[in-house]
Order: sequence, then structure tokens, then C-alpha cells
Amino acid sequence: MFIGTEKLTHTYMPGTPFATEALQDVSFNLQQGEFALIIGPSGSGKSTLIQHLNGLLRPTSGRVLFEGIAVGSNKHELLRLRRRIGLVFQIPEEQFFSESVFDEIAFAPRNLGLDESEVEKRVNESLEKVGMQAEKFRNRHPFRLSAGQKRLVAIAAVLSLQPEVLIFDEPTVGLDAISRKNLYNLLTALNQKDGLTVIISTHHLDQAAALADSVLVLNQGRLVMAGPAENIFNKRKQLYELGLTLPPVTEIMHELAEKGLPVKTAVYTLQEARGEIKNMKRRYKP
Amino acid sequence: MVSRSAAIVEAKNVDYYYPGEGETVWPALSGINLTVAQGEYVALIGPNGSGKTTLLKLFNALLTPFGGEILVQGISTANEETLPAVRQACGMIFQNPDNQLVATTVEEDIAFGLENLALPPAEIRRRVEDVACLLGLRKLLRQPPHLLSGGEKQKVAIAGVLAMEPRCILMDEPTAMLDPAGRQDVIDTVRDLNKRQGIAVVHVTHFPEEAAWADRIVVLNEGQLIVQGSPEDVLTDLSLLHELKLQGPAAVELAALLREDGYRLPPQILHNRELVDSICSLERKN
Ligand SMILES: Nc1ncnc2c1ncn2[C@@H]1O[C@H](COP(=O)(O)OP(=O)(O)OP(=O)(O)O)[C@@H](O)[C@H]1O
Ligand SMILES: Nc1ncnc2c1ncn2[C@@H]1O[C@H](COP(=O)(O)OP(=O)(O)O)[C@@H](O)[C@H]1O
Ligand SMILES: [Mg+2]
Ligand SMILES: [Mg+2]
Repeated sequence: MFIGTEKLTHTYMPGTPFATEALQDVSFNLQQGEFALIIGPSGSGKSTLIQHLNGLLRPTSGRVLFEGIAVGSNKHELLRLRRRIGLVFQIPEEQFFSESVFDEIAFAPRNLGLDESEVEKRVNESLEKVGMQAEKFRNRHPFRLSAGQKRLVAIAAVLSLQPEVLIFDEPTVGLDAISRKNLYNLLTALNQKDGLTVIISTHHLDQAAALADSVLVLNQGRLVMAGPAENIFNKRKQLYELGLTLPPVTEIMHELAEKGLPVKTAVYTLQEARGEIKNMKRRYKP
Repeated sequence: MVSRSAAIVEAKNVDYYYPGEGETVWPALSGINLTVAQGEYVALIGPNGSGKTTLLKLFNALLTPFGGEILVQGISTANEETLPAVRQACGMIFQNPDNQLVATTVEEDIAFGLENLALPPAEIRRRVEDVACLLGLRKLLRQPPHLLSGGEKQKVAIAGVLAMEPRCILMDEPTAMLDPAGRQDVIDTVRDLNKRQGIAVVHVTHFPEEAAWADRIVVLNEGQLIVQGSPEDVLTDLSLLHELKLQGPAAVELAALLREDGYRLPPQILHNRELVDSICSLERKN
């Protein structure tokens, strides 16, 4: 096991009338280099789980494990872990504390003790990776940006740490089409070329579905499905019952299949759909 | 004084600049001319940073233009005394459902704006009851808002705006943070209000599938209004959308790929259903 949990339970405000059991008995493990998705309706516990994975929350019971060591077992370990696991929050503003985009993104490399020219290099690279022009944005105030620009800066501020594990809580919220595509291309490259482990929660499976190795499905604090992506995405009906949907292009394939056309429905990209429809004729009996 | 024209909100040659650091200013909008008619559903699309939120904030008088003029029901937003009338006529829903609920129960939250209108308590109660009924929130009236799902929170925010009896609702990515079920619920609710009560809607979204249901699409890019027209014209113009780094609905994108492969599909396919039906009828002919 690389990263995972054992019977993780989390109760917010325990012992008060407002006690909320946000996670109950959640156990899973992921291998190094995996691309995992966490999906589930709102309030199902995705953000709570994600915050446990880099030790921002402490388990009410159960354990979070990183390379076999319980997360949060001591302060020194926790600091080491936070250098290796980068987390982008669901609300970008919650992670901002600097007066400029440059300082925000420079925080992690400065913290690593890198000299200022290396810091500068990392900031520029990180901005470029998320598709922002460094010259245009470096002196801007992170709070005085558009919604999508804030999210891109929050992502860049984690990329500059160059962590081994990237955990993003709903990273595509508020991004335009090109930034979404660009982000998924970047994650694919980091995952496939550099071997980074990537864990993201999302409601928008458009591009994510095609990339995921494995999927965790939460509902009301419980892990209700987990496994290889193809095994989860072919349970369309169960996902529907949880209020979840497949990517729009997959829905089109399902509708075609329902009309009796001989198409495969496990299709997550436009190009796959195009190929599948093109090949359909060959499948008719001569 | 209400203007005789059917316009609910109008931007006349509007410029807006955000004050920058030192002497610099950021032109967020320039030369915007836009009229939203009574009962119209307008989708406002454009890349990150193109000025969509800024334009909504101008319509809601949260900002006032540097050049040109914004009129809400014929009343200029530049005038302090008429601000309450402007805000009553034109309510705003934000992206994050957690940032706009202020009271300790849903009921108080819906009544929040009404308290400032000096209405008799019976009238306040009637309006809260009416909108709660209309949006299916009656069961939730006594609940604390933080216990609701994201979709329910957005509906409470919409109820709060509706209780003011507005002529127009401005929505800034209202579904971006919601799960698929919540997203559908909010979209259905707003479309229904638009159709049945004739309330105009200006809806900012990064989802072309959502924009496709509007009466009119308005496209912003770098602070300028680039093009406007029917969804059938604008959202099927993929060369324009791609040039602006935007995307068409999945059905439009897939239809374009299939046409390249020799499928003779009708030109104005916009929704999944149309694509599925067209493919089926072609297959049946073969
Ligand atoms: N408070 C602010 N101070 C300074 N500049 C700002 C502020 N808010 C936005 N801007 C700038 O104004 C321009 C338009 O921003 P706006 O928020 O209207 O864009 P948007 O179209 O809503 O983008 P998004 O899709 O990312 O939400 C952008 O260049 C942005 O950086
Ligand atoms: N800081 C908090 N305090 C109290 N309850 C919380 C807090 N954060 C989340 N919760 C509750 O825990 C549950 C899970 O929430 P969350 O992890 O945010 O779910 P998701 O990310 O899947 O939407 C919900 O019932 C939510 O209301
Ligand atoms: Mg969350
Ligand atoms: Mg915006």
C-alpha cells in the first residue's frame, strides 16, 4: 500500500448536538503512480477524506496510512509528508495568504530552502503549466482575480512544490474549456511520464473518466463502490441512483445503445465515440 | 419610474476598470452594449477572465461603470437613491452556495432581503411560504442552511431572490459547485421560473450543455462582446468557439467529427436527443 485508510471514521463536532459523521469505516488503498478519482454526491465526505490524506484532519477512529506509516503519528513525519503530498483545496481562497501571485506560488519552493533564482524559475514554470502568462499575473493580488484565475493560481502554488502525490478537490470548478483540457493534459503527463500519484475529486467526469485507473465512490460517508474505473463506470444505474452521471459523450452512447444500435457504451472521449460509431456498420451481419 | 421599453437590463457603451497596483488599471470590460428583454433567458459565456462576473456585478449595481451607463428597468445604477429598487428588480446568485446563506434557518434566510423592505410581517410570511412552495423547500423551512446539500442551498438562495419579486435573476455559475442531481434541480427550477413567471435570466456558465437551453447566447472575450445569437447559431459555430478557446456541447462536437467521416447530419444539431435521432434515422436507411 502506498496511500490509503483503514476503517477511517470522522465525526465533526463530536459530542455536540451538531455532531456529523462525515466518514464511517472507510478503507481503501492506492498504489504509487495510480490515477484515482473520488466521486459522490455533495456532502458524501469527499473533501473530508481528502483533508485526511495529508493530515489536515485527525481521524475520530481508524487510520490514514502513507507508505505504511500512520499519518499524523508525529509532527516531524507530518512535515515530511506535506512536502511530498500537495493538496489543492476545494475553495482556492482558503489556501491563499500572500499579497501577490508570485509570493503565493513562491511560498512552497522558498519553504524548501531553494535559492531565489530557483524559486523564480519554479514560479514561472508553474504559471506556464496552468496556462497563465507569468508577466501578466505575477504582481496581481491573488484575491483580485476572476474565479477561474484564482483556481489556476491555487493549482500553480501546489505544482511549485513539485510533490510526488497531487490531491485536487474539485479542480475544474470554474475553469473554462481550454483550462480544463490543459489541466488534464498536465495531470496525464505528470502521472504517466513522471510517475506522480494523482487523486482528484470531481463531479465532471468529461475528461477524468478516460484517465482514471481507479475510482472510489462515497455516499453518506461510506465507501459504497471502489475498484478499477471500467468496473465502476459500467454501473450506470447504480451511479444514477446516487445522483451521479457519466460524461455527456458516454450518455450519447448509452442513448444510441438503447435505440438498438450495436455500439459499445464504455466510451469516454469524443474520438472514441467517433471510432465506435464509424465501426458500427462493420458489426451488422452481412 | 419604469421605462416603457421591454428591456429589463441594459448596458449602454459600458467600460469598467479595476484599480490596479499603483497607476495601473485593468480594463475588465469595454464598450459593452447589451439589452436583456423582459422574460428572456440569456446565457453569458466566455473564457476565464473575460468579464462575465464583472458584467453581472454591474447589472446588480455592486459595481458602477466608469464609462457608459447601466439601466435596470430604465433606472440608472449610478444613482444612490434608486439602488434598493435596482437590487429588488435584479437579484444575484453566486457560485459558492456556502457564501450567500446568512441566517440560522432556511425560513429566515429567504426572508432576509424582505426585512429591509419594511413590509408587514404577514406579507413577509406569505411571500416566504409562496416561494418555498414553488421551489419545493417547505419541508426545509425550519432547518439550518448549513445542513442542506449544495443544490438545496442554491435553491434557498434563489428563493431569497424570488421573494423580492424580481424581474430578472443574475446567476454567476450557479451550478459549478453542485453534484449532477443538484445541478439538474437548479437548472429545472430556473427554467421553470423563466417560462412560467416570465422572469428574465442572465446565466453565466462554462457548460455549453447548460447554455444550449437559453434563448440567446452572449459571448465575451477579453472584456468585449464578441458575438451574440441563438444557441443554434452560436453554439454550433465550432470554429468561432474553438478560436475563443471554448467548446461546443458534446452533441455538437461529436456531430462535427461524424460529418468529417461522411455522416450527412443536419446542420443545427444542439442537444443529445437530436444527434441520437439523426444517427438512428441514417442507420435505418442503410
Ligand atoms: N477584484 C478585482 N480586482 C482587480 N481585477 C479584477 C478583480 N476581479 C476581476 N478582475 C479582473 O477583471 C477581469 C474580468 O474578471 P471577471 O471576474 O469579470 O471574469 P469572468 O469572466 O467572470 O472569469 P471567470 O470565468 O474566471 O469567473 C479579469 O482580467 C480579472 O483578472
Ligand atoms: N467543517 C465542518 N464542520 C462541520 N461539518 C462539516 C464540516 N465540513 C463538512 N461537514 C459535513 O460533513 C459531511 C461531509 O462533507 P464534505 O466532506 O464536505 O462532503 P463533499 O466534499 O463530498 O461534498 C457533510 O454532512 C458536511 O455538512
Ligand atoms: Mg467537497
Ligand atoms: Mg466569474
